Amino acid sequence: MTGSASLRLLAVLALRNLWTHRAKSLVVGALMALGTFLLVLGNSLLASVEVGMERSITGSIAGHMQVYDKHAKDELALFGGGMMASDDIGQISSFAPVKAALKDLPDVQAVVPMGITMATVALPGELELTLTRMREATHQGDATSRTRLFAQVLQIVAQMKKDTQHTLSLTSDVARVEQDVAIFDHVTAPEFTLFLERTPLEALEYLDTKLAPLAGDGRTAYMRVLGTDLDQFTKEFDRFVLIEGQLVPQGKSGMLLSRRYRDEFLKNPVARDLDKLYDAVVVQGHRLAYDAKLRDQARRLPAQYARITYDVSAEAAAKLEAALKAELKLPDANLADLMKAFLTIDDNNLAARHAFFEAQIVPNIREYTAEIGKPLTLRSFTKSGYLKAVNVPIYGVFDFKGLESSDLAGGQNLIDLPTFRELFGAMSEAQRAELAAVKARVATRDVGRDDAEAALFGDAADIQGVQAQAAVGFDEFSGEALGDIKKAAEAATADRRFTAVDIDNGLVLTAAVVLKSRDRLVPALQAVQGALDQAKLELKVVDWQKAAGLVGQVIWVIRGILYVAIGIIFLVALFIIHNSMVIATIDRTSELGTMRAIGAQRLFVVTMFIAETLVLGLIAGIVGSALAGLFVGYLGQVGLSAGGVDVLVFVFSGPRLYPSVSLMHQLAGVATIVVVSLIATFYPALLANSVPPVVAMQAKE
Amino acid sequence: MMVSGLAIVLGLVQVAQAALSKEEMVKLLATIDDRQTNGGDYKTLAYIEQKQHGKDDLLYEAVVYRRDADDKLMILFLKPKAEAGKGYLRLDKNLFMYDPSVGKWERRTERERIGGTGSQRNDFDESRLAIEFDPAYVAEEKLGKFAVHHLKLTAKPGVDVAYPVVELWIDPASGNALKQQERALSGKLMRTVYWPAWNKVFSPSKGADVYYPKEIRIFDEIEKGTSTTVVLQKVDLSALDPNIFTKAWLESKSR
Repeated sequence: MTGSASLRLLAVLALRNLWTHRAKSLVVGALMALGTFLLVLGNSLLASVEVGMERSITGSIAGHMQVYDKHAKDELALFGGGMMASDDIGQISSFAPVKAALKDLPDVQAVVPMGITMATVALPGELELTLTRMREATHQGDATSRTRLFAQVLQIVAQMKKDTQHTLSLTSDVARVEQDVAIFDHVTAPEFTLFLERTPLEALEYLDTKLAPLAGDGRTAYMRVLGTDLDQFTKEFDRFVLIEGQLVPQGKSGMLLSRRYRDEFLKNPVARDLDKLYDAVVVQGHRLAYDAKLRDQARRLPAQYARITYDVSAEAAAKLEAALKAELKLPDANLADLMKAFLTIDDNNLAARHAFFEAQIVPNIREYTAEIGKPLTLRSFTKSGYLKAVNVPIYGVFDFKGLESSDLAGGQNLIDLPTFRELFGAMSEAQRAELAAVKARVATRDVGRDDAEAALFGDAADIQGVQAQAAVGFDEFSGEALGDIKKAAEAATADRRFTAVDIDNGLVLTAAVVLKSRDRLVPALQAVQGALDQAKLELKVVDWQKAAGLVGQVIWVIRGILYVAIGIIFLVALFIIHNSMVIATIDRTSELGTMRAIGAQRLFVVTMFIAETLVLGLIAGIVGSALAGLFVGYLGQVGLSAGGVDVLVFVFSGPRLYPSVSLMHQLAGVATIVVVSLIATFYPALLANSVPPVVAMQAKE
Repeated sequence: MMVSGLAIVLGLVQVAQAALSKEEMVKLLATIDDRQTNGGDYKTLAYIEQKQHGKDDLLYEAVVYRRDADDKLMILFLKPKAEAGKGYLRLDKNLFMYDPSVGKWERRTERERIGGTGSQRNDFDESRLAIEFDPAYVAEEKLGKFAVHHLKLTAKPGVDVAYPVVELWIDPASGNALKQQERALSGKLMRTVYWPAWNKVFSPSKGADVYYPKEIRIFDEIEKGTSTTVVLQKVDLSALDPNIFTKAWLESKSR
């Protein structure tokens, strides 16, 4: 028999056998097709996620690689794995040598200096803020503004007094409440207005120390700030998009706020919560009636009424009261009660209340604590642990394109590098020398915690001999002290400028390397590390995936889960195919014996079995792969939702993933199932091979 | 048997002799308070140094102003230059912090770490132990080579203090406080403070000596390895500017 005739015969026999055992073939084939489907689907999704995640990480803040201290205690984790601010990733004392070593490498497009730290922003209550503004107006000699602001104070005091009267009916500490009422009465009396006009600073002192503590504490927001060369950053990171304001002019100190952060932490809490509810109910179609979490959010809204009533000016309050009376049809209610009623929302009134809020209330309140064009005071605990405060002007608000709803990406705010260095507490040699001089003059001895009592109260101690000292008059402002204080104050208003040289010649924590082509990542990593080593810089380079921290490892977790699941399916398929073939061999013993008796060689029998599985594997693989291709194509059209899960939004590079399938993945899927089938057929084929012709004859007898 | 019984009786007698009555303890606390209080104004030049494991030391030179009669306190930083002009102002129950580099005041709590060190407002302020706490006798103990009274102080209701429970070790001979341990409401130990040496200076306005610790050693019991040393270098009891304890005064220094 010729080769082609043999092949034809094998194919016919395989198809005949598959058809004869069609139920079994269908089950086994379906399992094989499912395995192939999942393999192709999983690989397509993974590849799309990997591309999305790479876009998110490299295009937002990481670049393709990050360079940092080789001896860092902790590993770099730009997006978490612990806050970078608390992680000890070491520091690069000067950026210039890093830039010099890397900028001319053939694959490198840019080297961007960076440093991340945690800062805090004080969010004072409405009264505290108004008093601060009154103080500023007083210092500027602006009596008109001060009077207008005091009217707002009186508006707040009126509200506080109403609240206190309500408390009076509930409290057992009546004396304390009466004390508070006496303060309200004192402030609202006409004499206090005269007192304010005559001696504004004294009156403000009274308001600060007596009235302000009664209004409750403000809040503090934590802010992650990324210090960088803003000019270079906005050019090199393609996910960055300015949505409000302007870029920070080159060489000027300034800040760009993340829209996501601003909305979450710097927005009036009532406006923020109402927006969130509106988005969930009106835009996304959830119902308060069926969603306990949303209902809880809505239930808390009325209690926050003072965030609005304390924030509106006296004139605006009167207009708002009238508008709310008309809107709510409550002609006799006061502003506080009207606002509480207004903020009592349900599925039916939410859209209308939100529209009213946007139109009538937002224009009359401070919607955001931080305003474009005004400075924001950032405070940060420096590396040494002292609190450093800096005023940074806000120039604009930005988003990372596609990551608008991701907290991971939206948690980063951008500042200029010199400001970052101040917040980080980078010390110059002159500053170190100054501290050393003070320390040497006082020269305290070191006492450890464990032996403190022996050292302080041991044999040499004399605790009873109180030394009489002469009272020494001293003038603390002689010498440079007063000048130093004034210099510190000048920093508050100075228009701070710096040059490109200043950026290069100073401390950074990391350097981002942006490549000309992402395909050159592996060789470029080696080239960058080589250049750093050649320049004798004690630095290491990691790719974007490692630099991202935990989020960068998400892809490995997803891949692990997928492969384990597919592995289990293939193992089951392998077991079933194997068993089916063994049973088929036993069923067909007499047929096989006959075939052998009429001259079929052992090789022909083995090949017949393999061909049978091969045909089934190919058909199932092609069907599974084709179905997966169609499904991925469908997902590519409609998108796969991240379900609002932040990490997924980030790795999807947006709220939906639009995957695509490649021919390579489809072929790999078919090839894998064919290989699995062949492995499963190996033993049954050997079993069939061992059937002697005599078995057929015995069966006949 | 007879010997051990006698020893127990002798021990009880000794404890009974050492233990102080409530009145005696209150009097002892009042004496500590009174010794540190001045009738007029008070000004001292303080050196504050914090050592932290694995971090740069924090160093400051600051002037502390007090007007005990009005319960007022101000701390003004002079050195290093970068911190010059920063200050804390205590008015009634308010503690404000001022930073001239941002031109802003901020309200702080009783547990504010002064300049980020382990020291707190009450380390520099007048002593108010008898006013703020109720004492209970714990035991007579050894502190180094000295026998001392160990008292447990609990904050009086409605009084705003940094820590509700304070343990105090007092030298019975001199009446000087030597050691203090401050605990949170849960009983967790937060800080241990030592006053190894005391100085005094005669106050004409008070007509008596004003005591002040020559040195204060503060150990952070939460962040192990962090300790702060405060050295009061010189004390001036001359009258201060009448308007010194105002926000305006501190601001005026930087305008």
